[in-house]
Amino acid sequence: MPWELLDHQADVGLQSTGKTLDDALADGVRGLLALMVDPQTVHPRDTIEIEASGTDPGSLYVDLLNAVLAAKDIHAMFFHDVAVDSLSRERNEWHLTCRLTGERIDLARHDVESDVKAATYGGLRARQDEHGWLLRCVLDL
Amino acid sequence: MNERIQLNRTDTYRFEIPQSGEMNVPARIYSDQAGIDNLSSSEGEWSALQQLVNVACLPGIQRAALAMADIHPGYGFPIGGVGAFDPADGVISVAGVGFDINCGVRVLRTMLTRNEIAGKEERLADKLMEHVPAGLGSTGELRLNEKEIDRVLERGASYAVGLGYGTSDDLGFIESSGKLDGADPSTVSKTAKQRQIQQVGTLGSGNHYVEVQYVDEIYDQEAAEAYGLQPGQLTIMLHTGSRALGHQIGTDYLKTLEQASKKYKIPIRERELVCAPINSPEGKTYYSAVMAGANIAFANRQVLTHLIREGFEDALGVGHDDIETLYEIGHNTVKFEEHEVDGQLKNLLVHRKGATRAFGPGRLEIPPRYRHVGQPVLVGGTMGTSSYILRGTDFGMDETFGSALHGAGRAMSRRAAKKQYPAKDVVNRMRQLGITVRAHGKHAISEEAPGAYKDIESVIDVMHGSGVVQKIARVKPLVCLKG
Repeated sequence: MPWELLDHQADVGLQSTGKTLDDALADGVRGLLALMVDPQTVHPRDTIEIEASGTDPGSLYVDLLNAVLAAKDIHAMFFHDVAVDSLSRERNEWHLTCRLTGERIDLARHDVESDVKAATYGGLRARQDEHGWLLRCVLDL
Repeated sequence: MNERIQLNRTDTYRFEIPQSGEMNVPARIYSDQAGIDNLSSSEGEWSALQQLVNVACLPGIQRAALAMADIHPGYGFPIGGVGAFDPADGVISVAGVGFDINCGVRVLRTMLTRNEIAGKEERLADKLMEHVPAGLGSTGELRLNEKEIDRVLERGASYAVGLGYGTSDDLGFIESSGKLDGADPSTVSKTAKQRQIQQVGTLGSGNHYVEVQYVDEIYDQEAAEAYGLQPGQLTIMLHTGSRALGHQIGTDYLKTLEQASKKYKIPIRERELVCAPINSPEGKTYYSAVMAGANIAFANRQVLTHLIREGFEDALGVGHDDIETLYEIGHNTVKFEEHEVDGQLKNLLVHRKGATRAFGPGRLEIPPRYRHVGQPVLVGGTMGTSSYILRGTDFGMDETFGSALHGAGRAMSRRAAKKQYPAKDVVNRMRQLGITVRAHGKHAISEEAPGAYKDIESVIDVMHGSGVVQKIARVKPLVCLKG
C-alpha cells in the first residue's frame, strides 16, 4: 500500500512508501487528503502550487504535509490529487514544488472525513532501502 | 527509542521513575495501579512513559517531569505532561505546548435548571448546531483582515468583546483575563494569519465540543457557592482552541526550534522535542508567538460563547445575561509563573501539554470571587459520562507547580474506536441515557465514544485522592454538539 494510517492513542500516524522519494512524498500527501475528505468527491477544477523545504527527507515530508494543510485553509479548498513538479537538494537543503488540484470547499457535496491540525516530528522516519523510500510521522488531530 | 523503564509505586496515587542516566530529574505519574497497568499494556511504539522520561532529560527542568492521571501518548511530551523550566538554563519546547496553542475549556453557568429544559433538548441541540460553526471546512461569521487579526493577537478576548461578542463581565473570569502579555504579532507568519481569516469563531472538530450539562453532585458547598453552582443547575462546557493560526505557529516554529536545538547543542533525545533556550532570541520569539496564538484562542472562545448564548436565546428565549462565564482555562500552554523550589521563589516557565493550571487559594491570578477557595479546574469527560469542576489546592502548588489533569484521557485510538463503536449505536445508547447528540464530522461520534476514553471517575479519584485538586461538582451531559 503506498500509504497507510497507523494506530496512535491520541492522534494518527501516516506512513507512506514509494520507489522514489518523489513517489513517497506524493503518496503521503494523498494519504493526508484522503484522511480529510474523500478525494473522489472533489473535482480537480483548480490548480495551486505549493512549496516545501527541509534539512532532510523527514523534515521535508512534515513541511510538505503542513503546506497542504495551510493551502486548504488559505484557499478554502479541498484537494483531489497532487503532482510533484520538482525535487532538488543542495547540501542539506531539500526543496520541493508540487501542484494540488481541487476546488472550493462545498460541504453539501464533499464527503468530509476528519480534520488534521498539523504534521509533527512525532515518530518521524525517513528511510531508504533496496525497495525504495518509507516516510512516516504523527499527525495531530 | 524505547528503553526499559523502572517504575516504583510511591503511594496509593503516585508512581515514580527514579532519576537515572541522562535524566536531570525524576518523573512522577499520578495514577492508580489499574491506570498504570492500562498504560503499560497499551505501550507500543508510541510510549507515554518514554516521552515523560525524555522530558525529564531536558535541560533546566525543575523538581520532576510530571504526568497527570489522564496521561497518554502525544508527540514529544505525553498528553497530561507538565514540565517547569528555570529560565537560567532551561528550554522552551513546541511539543510542550502542542500545535493547538491554548486549547482549553470554558464553563458557563445558566439561571436554568435541568427540569426547565426537559423535552426541549432536541430543539436546543438543533439551534446550537445552527449558531455554532463546527467541523472541517466550516467558516465563521466574523471575517477579519490581517490588520484586525493582529489586534486579536495582541488583545485576545477583549477584542471580541469590543466587537460585541459577549461583555466585559466575561473577561474577569477567563485565565489571565483573556489576554496574555508579551504577544508580538510580528512573530506570527503571514501564512498563519491568512489561515485564520475564515476561522475566527469556529469550534473545529476532533474532540472539540459544546456540551449542555447539569450539576449532578456537589462535593464542597463553600467552593460551589463561590463558583455559583447548585444541584440541578444547567451549565455549558465549551472545548476548543486557537484553530489554524495556532497550528501554523507550531508548524513555523518547529523549523526555527529545530535549528536552535542544533545551534545551541541541546541534548534532546527525540527530534520531536526540538526546543530553544528560554533566553535565546529563538526562544523569546517563539514565546511571543505562543502568547499571540493563546490570545487567538481566548478570542475564539469569547466569540463562541456569544454564539452559544444566541443559540440558547433562539431555542429557549433565554437572555444573554442569564448565561455567565464561570471560568475559562487553557490546557496547551506555556507561561511564566512564580513557584517555590527548594525553599527558593523562582520565576519558572511552565509547560502544560494536555494539563491545566490549578492554582490554590490566595494566588493573585485567581478572580477575586474565587480566590479564597482556589482556582476552578475544568475537566471535560465524555459525551456519555461526567465532567468535573475541581479546585486547585496549596498542596498542588507545592507538588505539581499548581497543575492538574485536563480530561479523561484517551484509552483507545481513534481508528480502533471507529471500528468498535458505530455512530448509530453510540447515538442510540446516548438517547437511552437521556443525552441528545449532534455531530458535524461523520466519524466524530465513533471516535469520541465514551468507551474510547479512560474512566473519568477513576482518573478524578486519583487526582482528588492525591490532594493536588479537590472535587467541587460533577456535571453530566444532556446535549452534546461535536465538531
